[in-house]
Amino acid sequence: MGLREDIMTETVEQLPLRRALTVTPETSVVDAIELMRESQLGCVFVVDAYERPLGKFTERQVLKLICDCVPLDGPVEHHIVPITDNGCVKLTDPIARLVQGMQETRLRFFCVVDDKGKVVGLTGQKGLMEYITEHFPHQIKAQQMDSKLHMKSREGA
Amino acid sequence: MGRKRNPVEPGEFEDPLSNYDPPVYADELERVLCETQVGQMRIQPLACVQKDATVQEALDVMKKHTCSSVVVKDAGKAVGIFSSRDVLNKIAHDPSTRPKPITAYMTSDPQKVYASDSPAKAINLMAVGGFRHIPVLDVDDNVVGILGPRRTTQFLEEHLI
Repeated sequence: MGLREDIMTETVEQLPLRRALTVTPETSVVDAIELMRESQLGCVFVVDAYERPLGKFTERQVLKLICDCVPLDGPVEHHIVPITDNGCVKLTDPIARLVQGMQETRLRFFCVVDDKGKVVGLTGQKGLMEYITEHFPHQIKAQQMDSKLHMKSREGA
Repeated sequence: MGRKRNPVEPGEFEDPLSNYDPPVYADELERVLCETQVGQMRIQPLACVQKDATVQEALDVMKKHTCSSVVVKDAGKAVGIFSSRDVLNKIAHDPSTRPKPITAYMTSDPQKVYASDSPAKAINLMAVGGFRHIPVLDVDDNVVGILGPRRTTQFLEEHLI
């Protein structure tokens, strides 16, 4: 089967999901940044008491705050981006649903939730690239990592 | 099935490509990954600062262009990259870094691709190597663009659905 068929039948659960970082709305921006830094992840989800997502706080928000010289000691809830239906996928959704969400929103991070709406993981642009890499290992993984151009032009040209 | 070859007479020239069968791809995306070039992807606009810039100047450029990375250039060559990950790791907790030189906080000698490389190579660097922003060079090693995850997934999506 081709990749197009696979993304229709395979589910988000089969993607290489990352552990989602979660914080409460009262968490300070400084603490949220520290958590992202320690985990080397560009996104934390702000969740309610039932661990359902309220919004997300990403590297992009950090950059905005730093550029605008905003104090970082306030609660993170004042700086989150609300998570809409398009920014959230279920474990049981087909991968095509994630691709469609990416096309519509251009979001980098997607919140992965279970049937009860609880945050269970994180995926997004990198997850999709990793999935495609696993689908075409001979074409992608066989590529060299170095950036050396061996010849500037064809011989004799 | 391969093409049938005519026997070559001794001393006769044989074109080495006369029996060449082009590869058959199972998927359009597979063909695109192998047969197109990074230069055909969206690699512009490109935000740059010179290597004598300060962290504050780099932040100003990132804010102005609403982008998450800037290429640090010296005489047209990419000598470093400064991204939102560097802001998270090195700048956010220390405001005193703003007037300091960008060269102290950038990632030096970043991984690069050539515009003539295949998209498969760029995706390998991102998905396997973990490089998020990759400067794109021309044949003279001048930086002509940048690839990030958003542009790359946009390119992939066009051939996925």
